[in-house]
Amino acid sequence: MFPDGLIHRSPQERVRYAEILVYIAAADGELVREEIAMIEAMMGRAMLHPESRITVRAGFEQPIPLEQSLADLDPSLAQIILRDAALVAAVDGDYDRKELTALRKIAKVAGASTTQLSELLDWVKEGWLWFEKASVFLGQ
Amino acid sequence: MLPDTVHKLPREERFAYARLLAFMARIDNELTVDEMAMFEQRLGTALLSPGQREAIRAALKNPPTLEECLEELSGEAGRLALRDAVMMAAADGTVDEDERDALEDISEHLGLREDAVEQLLNWTIKGYKWMKEGYELLDTLEE
Repeated sequence: MFPDGLIHRSPQERVRYAEILVYIAAADGELVREEIAMIEAMMGRAMLHPESRITVRAGFEQPIPLEQSLADLDPSLAQIILRDAALVAAVDGDYDRKELTALRKIAKVAGASTTQLSELLDWVKEGWLWFEKASVFLGQ
Repeated sequence: MLPDTVHKLPREERFAYARLLAFMARIDNELTVDEMAMFEQRLGTALLSPGQREAIRAALKNPPTLEECLEELSGEAGRLALRDAVMMAAADGTVDEDERDALEDISEHLGLREDAVEQLLNWTIKGYKWMKEGYELLDTLEE
């Protein structure tokens, strides 16, 4: 569990968090089941109210423009979003050009340099390798 | 959090998976906000129907016995449930005796090797270290 205090953020901030993740998931033009499962997991982790989740799911069809979601965003929340957006963007196996453009925009609000964004993407890769190891010794 | 295969399981197996996690969440009769958030995260990953979610949340209030959970659990769903049960048990930094016993019972029911729980615990520790590193990376952005 990430020790980031996300669940202590206001309901509005947590909705904004989820809306940006939906934008990232839909950025490459198609929303696959893996991405939906990831968004649902992130909404669960953020303890979003069930009605808020319905609102966020509406974005699967028509995501809220990123610029709108990023406007006046608290930089410390943007940092959490940047990390989780990197995880969501990687879920289909690669970073699409549009996903990378969106990540750079979030990074700017979060105050992350290009090098720091690159380090974050490396960190995501390390997480994948870690996660896959469980499948190996569970014999899947 | 990371690419998973839980959502690919048949509907009934996803439900059995979530039911076991409900049991684990209540094993020490305490449910912290952090544990609840982790449980909700796994429910999200499982892509349960609204009706199933209701049933699972009811199971949190009145947890099934481990035996009841295991009756419906086998194969891949069982292994994924054990993996995530280990992560839930270790979320507060320690795995107490009741949790450890339950994890060993699940492993035995699934016919896994004797050191499966130990291996999963070691794997979990590495994962929490990875998560912490991610948080530390965020910290550096503030400097």
